Amino acid sequence: MRESIINRWGRRLAALIAAVLCLSSCVDEETYPDTPQGNLEALWKIIDEHYCFFDYKQQEYGLDWNAVWQKYSVRTSDRMSSEQLFEVLTGMLGELRDGHVNLSTAFDYGRYWNWHEDYPANFSDSLQRRYLGTDYKIASGLRYTILDDNIGYIYYGSFQSGIGDGNLDEVISHLMLCRGLILDIRNNGGGNMTYAEKLAARFCQERTLVGYIRHKTGMGHSEFSEMEEQWLEPARGMRWHKPVVVLTNRSVFSAANEFVKYMKCMPLAKVVGDRTGGGAGLPFSSTLPNGWTVRFSACPMYDRNRQNTEFGIDPDHFVALSSADFDKSKDSLIEFARKVLME
Amino acid sequence: MRISNSLLLMLLALCLRLPLLAQTDSRMLPVQAESRPPLPQTDSVRLRTTATLLGVGGTNLLDTYLSQEKFSGLGLTFLSSTALEKSYARWSTVMQHEANFSLTTDRSENAKELQGDYSFFWGRLRAWHFFGDRLRLQAGGMLRANVGFVYNTVNSNNPAQARLSLMVMPAGAATYRFRLFGQAWAAHYELQLPLAGLMFSPNYGQSYYEIFSRGNYDHNIVPTTFVSAPTFRQQAYIDWQANRRIALRVGYLGHYQQSEVNQLKTHTYGHRVMIGVVIKK
Repeated sequence: MRESIINRWGRRLAALIAAVLCLSSCVDEETYPDTPQGNLEALWKIIDEHYCFFDYKQQEYGLDWNAVWQKYSVRTSDRMSSEQLFEVLTGMLGELRDGHVNLSTAFDYGRYWNWHEDYPANFSDSLQRRYLGTDYKIASGLRYTILDDNIGYIYYGSFQSGIGDGNLDEVISHLMLCRGLILDIRNNGGGNMTYAEKLAARFCQERTLVGYIRHKTGMGHSEFSEMEEQWLEPARGMRWHKPVVVLTNRSVFSAANEFVKYMKCMPLAKVVGDRTGGGAGLPFSSTLPNGWTVRFSACPMYDRNRQNTEFGIDPDHFVALSSADFDKSKDSLIEFARKVLME
Repeated sequence: MRISNSLLLMLLALCLRLPLLAQTDSRMLPVQAESRPPLPQTDSVRLRTTATLLGVGGTNLLDTYLSQEKFSGLGLTFLSSTALEKSYARWSTVMQHEANFSLTTDRSENAKELQGDYSFFWGRLRAWHFFGDRLRLQAGGMLRANVGFVYNTVNSNNPAQARLSLMVMPAGAATYRFRLFGQAWAAHYELQLPLAGLMFSPNYGQSYYEIFSRGNYDHNIVPTTFVSAPTFRQQAYIDWQANRRIALRVGYLGHYQQSEVNQLKTHTYGHRVMIGVVIKK
């Protein structure tokens, strides 16, 4: 009896092992040759399977990635140099019109920067020095001072520079007697989104819905998850309870664009300046057969109205740097912000 | 002892894919000299055999969440294996600790990927003895718990992948004890096959920021089968018995960790030359 039970289970085990050996196989990925054509195919496929704005950009300006393939696949040859191949690949990537799409090589950095190069800068560091002076304070990535009309002024140039809770407590504490605050993020090209959230939380008085995020769930252009809500919690440290004006220009991009998205949800905040540069796709990276690295937008983010902010966020007040003000050593945006805060 | 049909079928299945070195298992039972009388069956002795090995060899990595390219390089492995049993018992308990670390590059040698992982195996194996106890076959099951990482040195918001999995694995072993040049030798082969388990994986284009900073779960704990996670492991060793308690072991360890879940493909193939000692207590 016991022997027959063992034999029965032994047969089942043997059948299971045979099934495992027959049905399982190697998990592998297609390998492209390290030739100009191979690198072009690999790059086109990476973007085709991972880029997150195809549907949106097809609506905005008729982007057709298959048509892009037809256009660029005839431009490679085995005799072309690395520089020539770089030109073809960056040209193809430029069709995406995305500042988060880049090609890194040892000799150059492929980019699409029209989103700010085609527009006025609306920022002058020489003008800024007239307001900051030389005795401004520095708290990690923040430079701050009090202007002569008791308006606080903070400049945050890059979200790649970290800020800590202690820094923010000290800065807000120093500025707490000011009647208003100017938060200047012009030329802030982004960085770490965690710092953008940390700073915005200092202006948030209650749990606030600030936008949505989603991700791709497959290789298809339209395969996405549900939109997940982005909520901002008030910071536990010192918070700012008075009016604040955020200054923007076209170079405000990526995490800085996200920061503007958050601040647009704060009741006491106003945005002054130019439309931001956008960059609402969290970028991922991959590598080509020749070792070049490609960066691309992978996870789209939306404002609280579920609108795509990839091409930027409009300010509450459009203000440009005027040459008349420049001649008087006045920054038009800062002066306008002061008037708003005085109201 | 008559070999049943089921055992013949199992042997055949093993032979289809992998070489079978049928030799006695000096690791599982104490190696006894020809003249030493066997222990009385009424006195059950608890036996503990521990093998400690270090290995070096090649590693091949693929993780399409990080890159479409495959990375290859050199890897190190530490393996500690303990078998617990009572003399003349049919069942033994096996525990293994395996740690791996690899440094790999892509074919352009521009990007690097670092890989590290730790696996704990626990299993129960039943033994059958043949040819005057020289050949011992074992079969049973093991539970594998694995934690690890892969880190890509050039990526931006997807620089790394975490590995976390649990898997039930049917296991088998064959050992053969023999004498050569007047010395006592033993050869051992061991195999673990995939069956079913659970693993962590981000969804296809989901960032770790979204999973851990925003707390957005999306199919991140995934049930696996031998189709979606065909992970195999095999070991083949030769033991030279230095004395009754200690043996020198040299051989091969191959681990083939693979998965295709959430439309993400991963594989970690490791081939190691292993060397170490086996101690019986």
